[in-house]
Amino acid sequence: MDNNTKLQVMKIEVKQLSVGTGSEQRILLRSFELNCEPGSITTLMGPSGCGKSSLLSAIAGLPVAGLEADIKVALTGQRVDHLPTSQRRIGLLFQDDLLFAHMSLRENLLFAVPPGSKAARLQQADAALIELGFHEMAHRNPLTLSGGQRARVSLMRTLLAKPQALLLDEPFSKLDVALREQFRHFVFDHVRRLQLPTLLVTHDAADIADHSRVIDFETLNTANA
Amino acid sequence: MHTSLGHFKSRVASALLAAPIALLLIAAVAYITPAIGHLHAWAALLNVPGLPKAVGMTLWTGLASTFLAWWLTAWLLSQAFGRRWWSALVRSLPAMLATPHAAFAVGLVFLIAPSGWILRAFSPWLTGLEQPPQLATSQDAYGLGLVAMLVFKEVPFLLWAAATQLQRDDTGARWQRELLAAQTLGYSRTRAFWQVLWPQLSSRLAWPLLAVLAYGLTVVDAALIAGPGSPATLSVRAWQWLQDSDEATNTIGAVAGWLLTGIVAGAAALILLLGNLASRARLGWSGQRGNDAPVRSWHSGRIAWGAVMMLYVAVLLSLAAGSVSGVWPFPALLPASLSWEAWATVLKSSSSVWMTISLAASSSCIALIWAVAWLELAPTNWDKHLRKLLYLPLLLPGVLWVVGIHRLALAGGLTGAWLGVLLAHLLAVLPYTLIALSPGYQGFDQRYAHISSTLGKSRWTYLIRVKWPLLRTSLWSTAAVGFAVSVAQFLPTLYIGEGRIVTVTTEAVTLSSGGQRSLVAAFAWAQWLLPAIAFALAAWLGRPRQWTTTLNSKS
Repeated sequence: MDNNTKLQVMKIEVKQLSVGTGSEQRILLRSFELNCEPGSITTLMGPSGCGKSSLLSAIAGLPVAGLEADIKVALTGQRVDHLPTSQRRIGLLFQDDLLFAHMSLRENLLFAVPPGSKAARLQQADAALIELGFHEMAHRNPLTLSGGQRARVSLMRTLLAKPQALLLDEPFSKLDVALREQFRHFVFDHVRRLQLPTLLVTHDAADIADHSRVIDFETLNTANA
Repeated sequence: MHTSLGHFKSRVASALLAAPIALLLIAAVAYITPAIGHLHAWAALLNVPGLPKAVGMTLWTGLASTFLAWWLTAWLLSQAFGRRWWSALVRSLPAMLATPHAAFAVGLVFLIAPSGWILRAFSPWLTGLEQPPQLATSQDAYGLGLVAMLVFKEVPFLLWAAATQLQRDDTGARWQRELLAAQTLGYSRTRAFWQVLWPQLSSRLAWPLLAVLAYGLTVVDAALIAGPGSPATLSVRAWQWLQDSDEATNTIGAVAGWLLTGIVAGAAALILLLGNLASRARLGWSGQRGNDAPVRSWHSGRIAWGAVMMLYVAVLLSLAAGSVSGVWPFPALLPASLSWEAWATVLKSSSSVWMTISLAASSSCIALIWAVAWLELAPTNWDKHLRKLLYLPLLLPGVLWVVGIHRLALAGGLTGAWLGVLLAHLLAVLPYTLIALSPGYQGFDQRYAHISSTLGKSRWTYLIRVKWPLLRTSLWSTAAVGFAVSVAQFLPTLYIGEGRIVTVTTEAVTLSSGGQRSLVAAFAWAQWLLPAIAFALAAWLGRPRQWTTTLNSKS
């Protein structure tokens, strides 16, 4: 897989993040700033329901009912928060693998490869398959794979789209413990190799990639309340 | 031991459920099959002057309306799904579904006829017309009125069928997230829809699509009202032959029913083939991401949907105005005098209203209970096979299966009887009930059952306390759909009822050829009102539980 030629930095400034309106409005986050350096993995810790997934949605520009975000997102100095999700070039790995059931394994990967000549695109998808060790399963229905295998394909699909930054929304939580450890290494290795600025959201301390870059969502909240 | 006994019991119960319906359908088909062998009837049919024109008109109106409705549905979905106004769209569907084809056709004719509201609105100040023009705009020779009627009636049905899939607990929520995933990969909203959601959704809409196609190719009642007169469609001709007092002509009608069946089968094969090719072609592997247009609150999709809703409002208003109009000289926008005579007639023949209600309530109720029992008990592979049989009334031309049911009713001495008509309605209502109920019912999370049984609850407790309350919305709306389907039945009611069973639908359609404009409008309005009440009642009964607590703010 190609390295990005230019090292990317993701800068996030949240003025206010809230859900609901009027008397039912609930502030999730206020005055929060974060710099994600190339290849660094920042871990955002917090119990479920505290709003950390909402923050990721706001960064990626996903529509969430009732979510109001006053947020600035910049990739290497370029503001992207006015762009629709599809043009932000921020990859997001969901809790589920979300492989498309009507596409084969190879087609799922091919779907993510940026436009170009057919041969070049196929070559990138196949390279990813070989890296995964799945080249013999290229034409299989993704649903016939194990959960751990699908998770790895899902990461590769996210990376094939050449994102400039990566968000990880508890991507390990649905895997069993043994697989979790394996998949964590798989993800972190790729992130570091590609030098992607990465923000990981989790409630499990075992997921922490870099203990010098951990933020506790709860303490943020009380500090700002 | 216990589970295998349970299996055995559920198989016996399923067999008991399946047998009467299957026998009824098979017997009905068996009665009409011999007509295929009537070679001289075939020869007579082929010699009917204008047969190619009638077949051509059938193919044109059926295929054009199906293609347009399908395309418009897909486009509206691509515009609406995942946006805020999608839920508003879904909420507006029942009122449209409730409108029977015939009532819609009557109202549409009132709008577009030479003396209709549209021309009145522009006369004489723009058109200079003081007299209605000598133009056939409603029963036009090109079948355009019929195509328009079918398209605007089928788009809400297809959207509703799509909504039942999109609201499934399992697939719907997942597809929504898949759409988002595709957007984080750089795909525009619209392109993500066409490449990720539509291929998965459209394959699940095959049955509704085929129902729309078969309906468009074989419709009689609405075609009598809004369809072309000469050449009439083949189904209308077949219906006229069946109504003839001459038995040889009846046989030609039955044979024409089989010809129509062949046409439906051929068109269905064509549609499925084209659908496959189209979805493959659309899935192109260029990797082009597409561009999202800047978000505006009023974009083309929303405007188009607004226009569809406006048309329904206009149709219903024109029916309402028509039903109370006394003297109404041409360019005047409103009637010169009002008259309640038509409504007085409707009230006087209140027996037709009660007949409609009793048939619709009974058939939808039986169909719902049957469908719930079937989905609850039947093994998956049984369901797959029986469904093909149960969906027959959707695919077979009405003019064909109604004849079979009529023969069956004759044999059982049920012609002209409420019970006979009820059976015929049931066969028409059941497939729609299954189409309406299956997505929600089969998408129900099985783990609730496991949790309930680990809490020591019996299956009945689970069904009554957990499953059915959770599926309440789906159950009630299914009942309303069944009710509406029954109300709209024209052919089975008239043919098996032999004129002795009179509903608002048979009144509206048979009166439509006469000159009593206000009476037709009143019956058509009643024909819309009954299902509309059913849908409103269903929405109220199936409303989600109202929670009074407010969201706690975290301190």
